[in-house]
This record gives sequence, structure tokens and C-alpha cells, in this order.
Amino acid sequence: MATHMSREFALPDALLQSSPGGAQDAAAGAGVCDPAMENEAFSGFYERSARPLWAYLARSSADPALADDLMQESYVRFLCAEGAPALATDGEAAARLYLFRIATNLLRDYWRRPRTASIEETPEEFFAAHGDTAQSDAQILLEPALRQMKPRERQMLWLAHAEGYSHREIAKVMGLSAASIRLLLFRARRKIATHLRARAADDGRKS
Amino acid sequence: MKLTPCPYEKEMRRLMARGQWPDACPAELRAHVSGCRTCGDLVLVSEAFQQERTEALAEARPVAPAVLLWRAQLRRRNAAVERISLPLLGAEIFACAVTLVAALGFAGFEARNGVAWFTWSYWHEWFVQLPQAAAAQWESLGFGALAGSGWSWMVLVPAVATLVLLGGVAVYFATDKP
Repeated sequence: MATHMSREFALPDALLQSSPGGAQDAAAGAGVCDPAMENEAFSGFYERSARPLWAYLARSSADPALADDLMQESYVRFLCAEGAPALATDGEAAARLYLFRIATNLLRDYWRRPRTASIEETPEEFFAAHGDTAQSDAQILLEPALRQMKPRERQMLWLAHAEGYSHREIAKVMGLSAASIRLLLFRARRKIATHLRARAADDGRKS
Repeated sequence: MKLTPCPYEKEMRRLMARGQWPDACPAELRAHVSGCRTCGDLVLVSEAFQQERTEALAEARPVAPAVLLWRAQLRRRNAAVERISLPLLGAEIFACAVTLVAALGFAGFEARNGVAWFTWSYWHEWFVQLPQAAAAQWESLGFGALAGSGWSWMVLVPAVATLVLLGGVAVYFATDKP
């Protein structure tokens, strides 16, 4: 399978040789010379990191369809990036941090972009996902609280409490200093905890 | 809001990361958490996010990695093609500039050497004589004889050649761009 894939995805030699920073450099930068091995290593990395990345994007953006798109784009950019950490030498943890950073930047770009999408352009999955009444207990409790948070706070909270990243790692992903993350995270945690407690108290009163 | 760090926060993080909270942690730490706002927030938020993460992981439907490898391959190839085509565009611009300079130089040279290209009478005469010459040319073609009509051939052949050349250039520019 891997051999077949490597043959299928091989670039013409002329293009490889005449493209500084192209596929050949990217492969060399990733510390892998054999494309089959590169594919195999990537597949393993993808299997382990795709779901956590999707969860991060979906819960930070509150839009599963957008998370699908941004996840694919993140991996494509990761594969094309010249400075991406090598799976073989830098380790999977570094590659994962880099991937999350790409995803964070894509999300930021998406939020900065002016909204021009019409209702016709909105995918049906969006309505299906939002109209779904079968929510779990965790979603019922956390989703309203997450909606009260700023996008950056949602990202930070997810990285810290769902992914278990340290302040330094979150700082790397978000492009901020670790000291700032410490303060911002403390505030965000206190804010969402207040919402969660208020929500729990409301539910307790209703029942 | 004032940042009030708790000395137990790190320990709490460690216990939660290992899944030792709350069953496998000391009783005094549990008592501390019930009275500490910082640690209480940490536990509440971490438990909610961990539960949410478990559910989100089950919701994810990632595409096959081969699709992403193929898309990345395409993007790299397009980038490489763009890098290659950049010098070609430079060469095209250079060729156009050289041709223009040569044409202007030739015209200037001709003008300076007495050819009356820039006078009205020259072009008027040329336009008046052209139909007559063409008619004569057709006549001579009809009889199968080309000799004696050198002037009209000298006009027609370069004109057709120029048209063909310009047509080729136009087709090239129209079809070459992606």
C-alpha cells in the first residue's frame, strides 16, 4: 500500500530538482528521504492526531463543517511547510504542536475575514448539527458556557484542559508569551467556571 | 482580576493528568480543593473539558490520509511550476522589449537615411498603387507567370508573414496563461 502510494504521489524528477524549497526540500526537512516511509510515518501521525485536532477546531469554532475544512487545510500546510518539525528527529510532540499552531492561525484568519456567506452557501450539516437535540450532558453543560467565551479564551481553555498542554506549549501554539498565557488562562478559567456553576445552579433549581 | 496562584495547583494538574483524581489522591488534598477557589475551578473546568473531549473525539470523521498527501503533492507541484514559469515570463518580457527597441531603431535608421515613411505623400502613393499592383498580380497568377511582378510580391509576402507572425503571438498569449 505504502509502496503503491509513493509511486502514485511521486513528483517528476525535473520538478523536484528545480524547486528549491519544494517537495524534495520538504522531505529532507522532515528527515525522511524515502517517500514511502514519509507516507507511512505521516499516516501514523495522522491517525493519532486527526481526532484531537478536529475536536479542538470544532469546539473552538462551534462549527463542525468548518472544523472539517480547517483540519484538512492544516495537514496540507503541515506537509508543504519547509520548517515543519520532522517526525523522525524532532518527535511527534513537536509536530503536533506545530500542527495545532497552524490550525490556530487558520482559525484566527477565519475569524478576521469579513462575513459574506449567504444562507445558500451554508452547508446543510451546519443546520443538522445545530438542530440536533440529542446532546450529551457534557455538551448541555459546556456549550452554553463556551459560547460566552471569546474565541481566544476557548482555544486556550481547550488546549490547557482538554489537551493538557503546559503554559509554554500553549504559548507556542498561540504565538504569545508563557507569562501572558498564565494570566489569560487564569482569567478564562475563572470566567468559565462561574458560567458552569451558574448553569449547574439553574439546572438544580429547575429540577 | 488578581492572579492568586495556589501552591497545590501543580500537584492537582499532575494528579488529574494521571487520572488519579479524586479516588487516588490524599484526603487532605480533597479537603483543600473543596475550600480553594483556584483548585475548585481547575477541577470543575478540567472535568467538563475532558468529558467534552471524549465526546468530540467520537464525533470526528477524518478523511483518509492519502487524500491529504495527494492534496499536498498537488500544492507542492503547483508551487514548483509557478517557480519555473517565473523566469519564462521574464524572458517573454525581455524578448518583447528587445523587439520593440529593434523596431524603433530600424524606423529611426530608415528615417535618418531618407526614406520618406513619415510623409503623407509616401503613404498616399502606396495605398493608391497597392490595388493596382494586386490586380496585376492576380492577372499574372491567372496566366501562371510570376515574373515581372516583383514589387507586388515584395509587398504581399511580408504582409502575409507579418499577419501570420502576429496571429501566432496572439494565439500564444491567449492560450498560454493558466
